[in-house]
Amino acid sequence: MMDVFTWLEGSSLSVWVREAPTIWAFATIITLHTFGMGVLVGACAVLDLRLLGVARGIPIGPLSTLYRVMWFGFWLNLVTGSLLFAADATSRGTQWLFFVKMFFVVAGVATTMLIRRHVFGQNAEPIVVSATVKRLALLSLAAWVLATTSGRLLAYVQ
Amino acid sequence: MLPQDITHLHLLLNHVPTIGTLIGLGVFVLSFVRQSDHLKHVSLEVLYLIALATLPAYISGLAAQATIVDRPGVSAEAIVAHHDGALIAFMLIEITGFVAWLGLWQYRRLSRMAVWVSPAILVLGVLTLAMVSSAATIGGQIRHPEIMLDETAVAVGGWFPAAAVEGFVTTNPWVWPTAEALHFLGLSLLFGILFTVNLRLMGGLRGVSFASLHRLLPWAMLGFGVNLVTGMMFVIAAADQYIENAPFIWKVAFMMVAGANLLYLTVYDRLWELKAGQEPVLVDRAVAVSAVVVWMGVIYAGRMLPFLGNAF
Repeated sequence: MMDVFTWLEGSSLSVWVREAPTIWAFATIITLHTFGMGVLVGACAVLDLRLLGVARGIPIGPLSTLYRVMWFGFWLNLVTGSLLFAADATSRGTQWLFFVKMFFVVAGVATTMLIRRHVFGQNAEPIVVSATVKRLALLSLAAWVLATTSGRLLAYVQ
Repeated sequence: MLPQDITHLHLLLNHVPTIGTLIGLGVFVLSFVRQSDHLKHVSLEVLYLIALATLPAYISGLAAQATIVDRPGVSAEAIVAHHDGALIAFMLIEITGFVAWLGLWQYRRLSRMAVWVSPAILVLGVLTLAMVSSAATIGGQIRHPEIMLDETAVAVGGWFPAAAVEGFVTTNPWVWPTAEALHFLGLSLLFGILFTVNLRLMGGLRGVSFASLHRLLPWAMLGFGVNLVTGMMFVIAAADQYIENAPFIWKVAFMMVAGANLLYLTVYDRLWELKAGQEPVLVDRAVAVSAVVVWMGVIYAGRMLPFLGNAF
């Protein structure tokens, strides 16, 4: 595995991301990653808060639009995140906190997809928020909070 | 912008918190004399906008401090005392601004404010006025020997809040990373909600009324509050990283515009009346797009601090 990480880190793209003396390399990629986080985690937070009972006046059906917003943030961060990982593959790939973050990202995506199936898969109107959905919303919110926290702390933990 | 220019900016802006609070509180009291709800809302809007404008007033003061502290004829004790007084006044003004905003939000939703809002504004306003005028008086003594009082008059009981904040952030290694993590969580909450609300004004989420989305705004304010507290911890603890940092100046400027937009979302009649299924008018679409662009500017300038500037 280490060979793969070493190869990845030495690739010309990774060298460019890491070392190019331009604002368009590392700086812009990590800024886009932060922006994607705001879009993805923010849209998930709005949906989760509504499902947990905040702002009950908002009809749930139209909120399915938020999934398009989330996917935009998700793909942006998958691309920028992969570039950032490749640029520092040997250190990130051996950092326990990085895998903690990946675990919570996967948990966040999984719970958010389950919410979509449970909530927006219904044909009945009005949409009923079951106890299961509330639990999923709480889990999703917790997963995104922990993913964001562990991601930010990656800058401080070796 | 050079630190010297920011020092000049401080001389311009330092009157805003004092005079602004006086005007805001004066109109607030007048609204009871005249028994006018309209005047009361104006006074709360003034207090909210003053809370916004106090941000660059305080931050430009940090630049002024760094620029003049070593010059002859300047009283270093007066600078420290002025900063401490200004920090307490700044906190009181921000709290007053949050309460004023909450009152306006409640009025928009329920056509009345909670009973505690008016007394709270009155108490906070009077406290703010006392602190801000004391900070302003000490500030005047920094470079005006003709009105300089006894040096001992400026030390407030041996308690130095600005140094205490700096010490707390710099001596505990867990504080900076924790505050950074909270800053990113606050960012996500704030941006997610304001993006959703503005999306409705751009013509998305057509099936949702604006009024129902308005209910989410306090959660955006919570994110803003978390980021104001954590952000100011960074700025106070490592002022030299920020005051000479061009993207930081941009970030504060963007925040002024974005903060004004948040007030517009909170109180404006035409937005509140946007029913489910209704098309937003062109001007509201344009304002919503520019609001999201400005918030993206805040995030961009903030994240670029270490790259375009010198912060870590």
